[in-house]
Amino acid sequence: MGVLVKKVELSWLDRTYVWPVMKGMGITFQHFLKQLFTPTAKRFTIQYPDMKKEMPSGYRGLHELKRFEDGAIKCVACFMCQEACPARCISIEAEEFSDLNITQGFEEKRPAKFSIDMLRCIYCGMCEEACPKDAIWLRKDYEVAAYDRLSMQFGKWDLMNTYTEADGKESISQDPTPSVPRRTIAL
Amino acid sequence: MFITFALITLLGALGMLLQKNVVVAGLCMVAAFFGVAGLFVLLANPVAAALQIIVYTGAIMVLVLFVIMMLNSHEEEKAQVSHPVQRWLSVTLIAALAFGAVKLVLGSKGLTALAVTGAEMPQAMTLQKIGTTLFADHLLGFEVAGLVLLAAMIGAVALTKRNL
Amino acid sequence: MDKLASLLHTTPAIAWMVAKLVIVFGGVFSLAALWTWVERRGSAMIQDRIGPNRAALFGKIKIIGLAQPLADGIKFFFKEDLVPHDANKALFWLAPFLALVPALMGFAVIPFGRSFMSGGQEYHMALLDPGNGMGLLYPLAIGGMAVYGVLVAAWSSNNKWSILGGMRASAAMVSYEIGMSLAVVTIFMTAGGYDPSEVINAQGHLPWAWNVVRQPLGFIVFFTCMFAETNRLPFDFAEGESEIVAGFNTEYGSMKFSLLALAEYCHLMTASALMATLYFGGWQVPFVQNPAVMLSVLSFLVKMLFFAWVFVWIRWTLPRFRYDQLMHLGWKVMLPLSMANLVFHAWRMSQGH
Repeated sequence: MGVLVKKVELSWLDRTYVWPVMKGMGITFQHFLKQLFTPTAKRFTIQYPDMKKEMPSGYRGLHELKRFEDGAIKCVACFMCQEACPARCISIEAEEFSDLNITQGFEEKRPAKFSIDMLRCIYCGMCEEACPKDAIWLRKDYEVAAYDRLSMQFGKWDLMNTYTEADGKESISQDPTPSVPRRTIAL
Repeated sequence: MFITFALITLLGALGMLLQKNVVVAGLCMVAAFFGVAGLFVLLANPVAAALQIIVYTGAIMVLVLFVIMMLNSHEEEKAQVSHPVQRWLSVTLIAALAFGAVKLVLGSKGLTALAVTGAEMPQAMTLQKIGTTLFADHLLGFEVAGLVLLAAMIGAVALTKRNL
Repeated sequence: MDKLASLLHTTPAIAWMVAKLVIVFGGVFSLAALWTWVERRGSAMIQDRIGPNRAALFGKIKIIGLAQPLADGIKFFFKEDLVPHDANKALFWLAPFLALVPALMGFAVIPFGRSFMSGGQEYHMALLDPGNGMGLLYPLAIGGMAVYGVLVAAWSSNNKWSILGGMRASAAMVSYEIGMSLAVVTIFMTAGGYDPSEVINAQGHLPWAWNVVRQPLGFIVFFTCMFAETNRLPFDFAEGESEIVAGFNTEYGSMKFSLLALAEYCHLMTASALMATLYFGGWQVPFVQNPAVMLSVLSFLVKMLFFAWVFVWIRWTLPRFRYDQLMHLGWKVMLPLSMANLVFHAWRMSQGH
């Protein structure tokens, strides 16, 4: 099947080639002047380390393990995300914990270790989909880089603290004592 | 200055003859042309020097190198072993020619006059003088040469372009 | 000048010569280096980008990125100097110099200011004094030499793309030289001389008496041919990145590449100086009869830099031609146009204008 190409009839002025060139030069010069008199901050270019792009909602960046208001981890170590992960970058070790002071004889599960290999992660968001407790989600931080492989293994505390600065929370490094039994909150 | 330019010319010419690589030989020839241009300047004829560079190095040698590159002979073919007869014949021929040329120059009237009156600085040649010489004194020769060149050009185009 | 000369125990003429050498070659070279920055910055502006604006002296002084050429130079110096295995080593080394030297030399004959008298001696603002007999044939001759840098670089790299680029460059240069020469000849004819000072004096100080008004056709032809001569876009066939990798400088890196690039910009400077001299009255200041020396130098500089900017401007406006279009334009348009220009002006002169 052939495609019909319309031939453009050029006027004699266009055929001299000089006039169209001058028109084109006019256009480029307009752009030049416009850029010249635009302050740097208002130009299209985002000068990266100084300015950062606002990522669109739904962007899948670095993971965060969410916590409750009192700081306790929301994750219940159900291994759903580990199963759902197509890149198999999540590895979880569960532990039981009980706080006899509050709930007599009550026991709950939480991850002792929760690590994501960021070199393997493909940022697909399946873990977020799979999580029954909304404990893990992917947010907008895209600057995930390090100087060696080892520091790309994000552990439990790294993942819990990824967005502390952005959210204004304090960063934690040990499980705080829960004030209320989780089951009541879940109910 | 004369020695420098003469050396450049001679070395360039020698290099062109002895060099096995065609492109390097061509570049040696460019050097020789440059030396000749310098000699022209020393003879107070900068116009000839400029024309030498424009025409010979700027156009002709470029075209020659262009053709060499288009044929693209990176590996040089081994030349056939020349017969000693050829070699001796060429050497004697060149010797005879050189002898004749030297004798011609030494016996010329200009040189004897130079010996008598001593050297004088030749008058500077300008484009105006060349113009008047070409278009007033040697008009017929110039026109004929132009016609011959035009005919040659048309012939070349007609030969190479099959379907005009 | 006299005082300086007596300080250095030389004659004023020699001191002036040395000063001119430094001014001309240093000036052209540094302008060429600067123009790499102008090119990048200008192209960025034209394409609504920002361009190199971050290079800073001592990590602090950021003058709109003006330190970029310096940084580039340092970077090029410390890069590994690669020579391809099968390249012709000697020629590979020689080529950048063959490219750079003609590009710089071409400037020697162009007067960049009004001659002035001082202490009974006349000082000329050009490396070669007027009346040297070579006149404007000299930049044409040297411009013709510039192709050797490209050719030798192309051939010695032993690379198919390089050779293609070199062949294109040589063919383009030879074919455009003719149209250019004929356009220049017309100027020689109307000016009645081929010395740049004569050409400039013939144009006078009134803008409507400049050659660009008198022979606009010649100007267009010369202008176009200058693009082909300097191998700049739209005619940069030696280096068509989209077609033949990087053309003649595919195999070049580090300082050798930077010399090749600098040669291009030096050539650009020389070409724009030629254009200013031939068609825009050289150092003549519009409407000023006998300008002060510094004013004339300034005027020349402004004209030259304007044309250098036009080179950049056009490069980022027009796409590259196809090769057959280039040949078509050169032989079937530019040559007849410059011929017509020549014949027309010859006829006018015969009519006594």
